[in-house]
Parts: sequence; structure tokens; C-alpha cells
Amino acid sequence: MRDQSISFRVKRGIGIAMMLALLAFSLLPILWTLILALRPATHLFEPIWSSPTALTLDNIASIARSDFPRALLNSFITAGASTLLALLLGVPGAFALSKRRFSGKFMASWLLLLLRMAPPVGFVIPLFLFYVQAGLIDTHIGLIFAYTSLTLPFVVWSMWTSFNQIPNELVEAGLMDGASLWQVLRLIVLPAARPGLVAAGVLSFLLAWNDFFFALVITRSSTTTAPVAIMNFVSYASVDWGAIAVAAIALTLPTVPIIIIANKYIVQSLGGAVKG
Amino acid sequence: MGKIRLNGVNKRFGAAEVIPALDLEIEDGEFVVFVGPSGCGKSTLLRLIAGLEDMTSGAIVIDGKDVSNAAPGARGLAMVFQSYALYPHLTVAENMAFPLRMAGTPTDLAQTKIARAAEVLNLSGYMDRKPSQLSGGQRQRVAIGRAIVREPAAFLFDEPLSNLDAALRVSMRQEITELHRKLATTMIYVTHDQVEAMTMADKIVVLNAGRIEQVGSPIELYDTPRNLFVAGFIGSPKMNLIEGQEAQVRGASVIGIRPEHLDTVAEGGWEGQVMLAEHLGSDTFMQVETQAVGMLNVRMDGEVKARHGDKVRVAPKVDKMHRFDAEGLRLVH
Repeated sequence: MRDQSISFRVKRGIGIAMMLALLAFSLLPILWTLILALRPATHLFEPIWSSPTALTLDNIASIARSDFPRALLNSFITAGASTLLALLLGVPGAFALSKRRFSGKFMASWLLLLLRMAPPVGFVIPLFLFYVQAGLIDTHIGLIFAYTSLTLPFVVWSMWTSFNQIPNELVEAGLMDGASLWQVLRLIVLPAARPGLVAAGVLSFLLAWNDFFFALVITRSSTTTAPVAIMNFVSYASVDWGAIAVAAIALTLPTVPIIIIANKYIVQSLGGAVKG
Repeated sequence: MGKIRLNGVNKRFGAAEVIPALDLEIEDGEFVVFVGPSGCGKSTLLRLIAGLEDMTSGAIVIDGKDVSNAAPGARGLAMVFQSYALYPHLTVAENMAFPLRMAGTPTDLAQTKIARAAEVLNLSGYMDRKPSQLSGGQRQRVAIGRAIVREPAAFLFDEPLSNLDAALRVSMRQEITELHRKLATTMIYVTHDQVEAMTMADKIVVLNAGRIEQVGSPIELYDTPRNLFVAGFIGSPKMNLIEGQEAQVRGASVIGIRPEHLDTVAEGGWEGQVMLAEHLGSDTFMQVETQAVGMLNVRMDGEVKARHGDKVRVAPKVDKMHRFDAEGLRLVH
């Protein structure tokens, strides 16, 4: 039977109101950014209802003419490459930590956690000094390595957890069936841990994609990434809010399809579902 | 061929000695069961043979070849795990094809082998299913199928029936015995269930704390247990072990009497009271509390009218009695 009592209806009403408030809190800034992107500079800070038809594509055009598209490409190259590198190194590492017996695992887990927890500012000064010596400042490779230091501990840590959910007997069955450790990883363990792998890949891509601090210190002009390039629209005399809004959207849009595609896996991975 | 010899095989985990140096010979085509209580080292011993654990010292020889340092996949053995360990993302056919793929078997030959194994195991109708779409018994059959296609020197079974319900366990037990008859390949089977050991084995290896207590055919172990541990472990219900004066008058520290070697008598014997009576129709199991020798398990053929509280007299068949010395070893004369 459905509960139709007054107290239940009041509670439900409060619940819905709170949900709507939360929704507005997270969606309104996005809506506002969208509106800003399409408003001419002269009408930026007027309420939308005072001049609803004052819309323009100028902001988009000016962004297209600027260095921003190249910065976006730099973001893609560095975030993508560092994610690939972190997966290539981190997945076998996590597999070894999860499935092989050796001493020092506890130590390794603490070190990884420490690397994950420590603020990037702790690494950036020595990294900067080293990069100056090594000629890696303002290079893709330099930024890729820096991002890998960020994403690698994350990949190892999360894949370690994923691999722990895969029964050891599956690995042993593979070894008995004549597979090498590498084949066991590639043909048995990784397919079974696919949700974890996709989640680790996507989240570490976003970690690098959204970085501002490393890029600010390590890049100059030719390898600037998108989050840093947005700063170019802030000058001493003025702030080009319309361009910043377009840039913010351009920075967000590529992540949307990735998140949508990976959503199922991320949820599964967080839920820890491996069917035997 | 599948003749396996263990020479002084020893396993330590740090300071703990799990398997003290141990020797064992397994003949080609034999069905050998490792049996013992939990933690006796039977699974560890199987994993040492498989190569999934490293030995601390000793040698494992399969068909005359020392495989002590060979990788698990290079020993020519196939293993069936308790949890089946089927590859969840592969179909039944792909699971069975996996070891052949690893061995680089040509596709058409692999197909023939898989089809033959599927037929033997009644799996032909399930080849395109994933493991998650199979019942426990079917999964176990796929695991056995994956082992069969490799045509191994020996099959290793690690408590393969523990996850099945009682009825399925009995039928799978018969299937594995039947399979052994058909293939005539060496099988090593680990279980803690002595009924499985008794019904399936050509040879039983009783293990306790990593040590071999006795090796022999099921009936040898039943009729002539070498020591108190084997006497108490093999047989259900358990052998009655009696200490004190009754043992001493027979020149032993402990005497053992199997439940079926006790009879109810009108006179003489030990007087006691029935504490529990289980009527199975074919047998009647009783627990009788006696003044002289304590609690006794008694097994009678057919239906016996006995109820809780009844006074009975039970007497042992003296010629079937087992005698053990103070060290727990069997006395021969």
C-alpha cells in the first residue's frame, strides 16, 4: 500500500526540493557559462531577459583564431600519452603487487599512497630544476613524464585493487595451461578486470587533462595546455569572459563522450563486480 | 605415461616447516588420493607437484625427468581447482581451447580434441555459453574438459567436489572414477573427505601435519591402520579407541574396534545405555555409554529396535580388534 499520510507527503516534498536545489547548484553554472559564451561583450553582465536576442558567435570565432586550439591539442597529446605510459608501466606493476609473493608489499603500498597524497607543489621545484638542466622545459615529453608521475601511482593503486578481486586460482589455472605470466595478464586477468582498466585509464586521463599547476611551471608557449591557455584571456586591463566561457566549454566537451562511454565500467569498477 | 616420484620434497614458509622431507612413488595410471584433516599439507603437496609452489629442497621426477625447477605449464600436468577457475570472459569452447592455444596446437586438431572431450563430458550442447550461465556441476565438467584436452601425464584435482551439493557430489564422484577408467591416466586427488578417498582411490596417502602417516589401498588402510591417527581418520563412524585396563589385558596401550565389529549380546560384554540411536533402515547406528570403556559407536546391520535409554550389552569381535602401543603404533602380534 502506498503511504499517503501528510507527514510522508511533507517529507517527500522536502526531499524533492532539496534534490532540485542540488541540481540547480551543479547545473546553473554550466548554463551560465553556455549563455556567457554566446553573448556579446557589451551585454555580458546584463540579465538575459533584458536583451534575450543579443547573441553572437564572435567569442567562438575569436577563440578559433587564437592559440587555444593548439593548446587543446597539446592537452590531448600530453594527457593521452601520459595515460598510455602510466597504463603500460602501472598495469604490470599492479599485477605483480597483487599476484606475486614478495616482501615489501606493505612498504610499496605506503609509498604509492604517499605519492598519491602528496601535493604536486612538493615535486614541482626539484622537477623544474632538473628539467632546466635536462632541456625538458616546454617540451611535450617533459610534460608527459611529469603527468606520468601523477597518473602512475593512481593507475597502480586502482589496478592493484581491481586485480585483488580476481581469484588467484584464475592466474594459477592459466599457468597450468601453459601460459606465461605475461599471457596470463593479457589473456585472462586484463579481460576479467576490464571495468577497472577502463576506469583507471579514464580517471588518469582526466587527472592530466585538468592539470593546471604542472603545465604552468613546465610549459612556456609552444606546449601550453588548455587550462593554462585560458589564462591568456586574462590581461592586465581586461578579462575576456566570453572567450573564457567558450574555452571552458571546449575544455569540458571532449571529456563528456569519454565519461558517457566509460560510465558503465567506472560504476562497475567502483562496485567491484567480477563475475566468476 | 605418468609415473611421479617425490624425493625428499620439503617445504618451509619462513620458519614454519609445512612439509618435512617426504618420499612418495605414484605409478603410471594410478588413482592416488591425498587425504587428511584441514591444514595437513595435502593441498600444498599437490601445489608443489604442480609447480605452483616452490620447493625448499628435494626433487620431483615425472616419467624419469626432473621437473623440480620447471614452470607449471611445462610439467605436462593438468589441474582442476576447487573453484573451477574457468576464464569468465571465454565461452566453454574457448575455455577448453585455451591450453591448446598456448601449446600452439593446429586449429583442426584442437577442434577434434575439444569435440571429443565435450562428448565424453556431455558438454556438446553448452559450447557457446559463458561460465556464468552454467550450473556448478557443468562448470566442474568444463574444468575437467579443459584438463582432458591437454592429454596430460597426470591430472591433479584439488578438492574438486567441495563446492557441489551432496547429491551432485556423489554423481560427480562416479563420473571422475569412470573417467579414470576410460583414460587410464594418473590422477592425484586431494580431499578431506575420507568417503571420497575410500570410494575413488587405488592408493590413499594419509597426511597429518605434512607427514605421510600411511600409504596403501583403501582396504589395507581400513583393515590394518599403521597407527592411531590412521585408525581414527579412516572409517565412518570412527573406530572406537579404548585405553586403560581393557587395553592392558590385551597387551596394548590402546585397542581399537570398528563400530561394525561390536555386537549386542545377552550375557557378558560391556553393559551400557543407548544414548543415541539412528535408524537408517539398512543400518542402525548407536552410541552406547558404558561404565567399563566409555562411549562406544556401534553399527548393526538392518533395523534394530533400540531407543534412547535402553540397557544393552555389547561385545567386540576379538579377532577384528586392533592393538596399538604407547607410541600409537600398530602391534602386529
